[in-house]
Amino acid sequence: MTTEYINICLADDDQDDRLFFTDAFDELKIKTKVSTFNDGVELMNYLNDADSVLPNVLFLDLNMPKKNGLECLLEIKKNENLNDIAIAIYSTSSSEEHIEETFINGANIYIKKPSDFETLKKILAEVVTINWQYHTSGLNKDNFLMRM
Amino acid sequence: MKDVQLRNSTIFLKIIFVISAAVIFFIAGITFKHITVLKKSSKWVEQSHNVNMELERLISYLKDAETGQRGYILTNDKSFLTPYTESKTLIRDSYKKVSALTENSRTQQANLKNLLFYINKRQNYLSKTLYLTQQENYDKKILNNYLIIGKSAMDSVRTKIENMMSTQQNLLQNRQEDYKSTMNYTPLLIYLTLLVTLVLITISFIKMNRDLVKLRKTINTLSVANEASNLAEVVGGFGSWQYNLETNEYNFSDNEYRLLGVKPQSFKPSLEEFLKFVHPDDIQYVIDNAKNIPTNSILPPFTYRIIRKDGEIRYFRTLGRVVTIASGERTHIGTTSDVTEEVYANKFIEDRNRELESNNKELTAFNYIASHDLQEPLRKIETFLSRLVTKDYSNLSKSGQQYVTSIQSSAQRMRILIEDLLQFSRTNKTEKVFEDADLNSLLENAKQELTQIIEEKQAIIESSELPTLKVIPFQIQQLFINLIGNSLKYSKENRTPIIKITCSKIVANDDEFLPNNNMKYHKIIVEDNGIGFDQEYVKKIFILFSRLHNKNEYEGTGIGLAICKKIVENHQGFIFAKGVLNQGAAFFIYLPID
Repeated sequence: MTTEYINICLADDDQDDRLFFTDAFDELKIKTKVSTFNDGVELMNYLNDADSVLPNVLFLDLNMPKKNGLECLLEIKKNENLNDIAIAIYSTSSSEEHIEETFINGANIYIKKPSDFETLKKILAEVVTINWQYHTSGLNKDNFLMRM
Repeated sequence: MKDVQLRNSTIFLKIIFVISAAVIFFIAGITFKHITVLKKSSKWVEQSHNVNMELERLISYLKDAETGQRGYILTNDKSFLTPYTESKTLIRDSYKKVSALTENSRTQQANLKNLLFYINKRQNYLSKTLYLTQQENYDKKILNNYLIIGKSAMDSVRTKIENMMSTQQNLLQNRQEDYKSTMNYTPLLIYLTLLVTLVLITISFIKMNRDLVKLRKTINTLSVANEASNLAEVVGGFGSWQYNLETNEYNFSDNEYRLLGVKPQSFKPSLEEFLKFVHPDDIQYVIDNAKNIPTNSILPPFTYRIIRKDGEIRYFRTLGRVVTIASGERTHIGTTSDVTEEVYANKFIEDRNRELESNNKELTAFNYIASHDLQEPLRKIETFLSRLVTKDYSNLSKSGQQYVTSIQSSAQRMRILIEDLLQFSRTNKTEKVFEDADLNSLLENAKQELTQIIEEKQAIIESSELPTLKVIPFQIQQLFINLIGNSLKYSKENRTPIIKITCSKIVANDDEFLPNNNMKYHKIIVEDNGIGFDQEYVKKIFILFSRLHNKNEYEGTGIGLAICKKIVENHQGFIFAKGVLNQGAAFFIYLPID
């Protein structure tokens, strides 16, 4: 990455979660440009638009109306243009099934939404500063799930 | 009676019969001979008697002639000559008769010739004498001469006749000798053969009697067995049938008919008649299966419906196989059982199972969804609270600060409770996959989950080599997390928590906790040096929501060990605990080696 800013996108239908997310990045000292989307359809429309600036890291909620996170994941992975995006699943659930499915379908990391704001900041900071090229090569299920 | 015995008896009786017949023929032969000899003998006697009689008559006629002639000579009366004239024919006839009677004996024939000579001589001199006396003057000397010669001839005749009679007597005696010898041994022989026959008959009688007794016993046993079998059929609710492979005919037991709701033997047993009772939908199925009866040696069980005479629908199961009976014949025998109760019970159980399964699924889903969906608002509460605390804590009044802190701790407790409930619902075994997993790495993952608190307490966790087993990995991992988490939570203040995890292989018989059998297990012990517990409560700690401390002393939901127990049970294993207050606790996990 040569540009100064890290482009970050979040797709989450929950207003409060979007607020926490943007607030967290506001407080972090990392240079980021954050865009949020209300559901999967909005997200995919943006990503498929040729003019859009693609994010470096995409935070994807699983539970969304119209098009949920898993469907978006599958679409993105099918699209060659969107291959460079690092995808972090950002969900309330920590069920085995969800973790397994998103792992199999190419997500880079799985984050369970924390209950504490400070923890959230720590997590986000870590995720966006990971050098994803090195990370993904050694990816297995054990380091797929974000642990704090 | 065994078949061999039966065959031997038959042969024995045949032999006895043949011997008896032979003996009877033998006796008949002897008797016939004897009778023949008797007849002959009596014929001889008669004959001899006739000969003697005739000879007497002969001499009598001769005497009559003599007498007649004498009378005439004395009186000169011609009437005295009648016997004399008649005597010629009489003598001749008599002679002829004797000759015929003695034609078998050469001796007698020779004697007869001799006799004839003398008779002729006598008759001759008689006529000569007569002629002489009929002359006017005759020489008395010549007459005397004639008379003397005549008398000597008569004497010769007499002697001859006596001779002949004694010869005849001799002949008879000789013939009787023959007869006597026969007479002597015949009765002996007959008595002997009679005795033999009697013995044979007695033997036969005894043998047949014995056989009859045996037969009767066998028939009794068979009758009893038959009755028992019939009774068994009635009690057991089944009927039996037989298919004769030679005649292609069926035979149904009485109960086979009763099962169909009709009187025993009320119709001629056949497949067609039976099919009349089969449910129309199942007829083709029954036909297809029954095709195998004449050809296959085993008829596997098949179930179908019949409609009894009274209209009730029943389920029948038929099966059969070919057996070879003592005589070498092969016959196909089978049973038909009324399995209606079984079928209904099964259906009932299946329905209940389905109901239970769907209930279970609903509950699991409900549990999961509830926990999951409850987490969401709770998380918000906690996050906003943390924002509040970070940003505006100082702006709050003292009581406000206190309130916020209280809210935070309540919210946290609630979150942990929901997480634990979620965890509990996840330990449901159905649809979980067992796979080979290295327990050492599962342990490592568990330790990683607890990193924070491990560091906080400066705890030391030692473990020996754990095996690789077929398990549900995330559940075993959870098991470790819960147990080690507990050990850390209930550690003694001011004492470094040391948690030891060891593993060994044992046989159930040798272990203090396990039931007595020969099954083998991996025994994993997680022990700590924490506050321990009173062994009195060892059963309580595994019960859902049951706690030994209140929430102010130690936080907790009372779900953790219940989850451990459920996980271990999912793996067909066991979990036990031992505790000593203020010294520590040990948890024993048994996972089967298969």
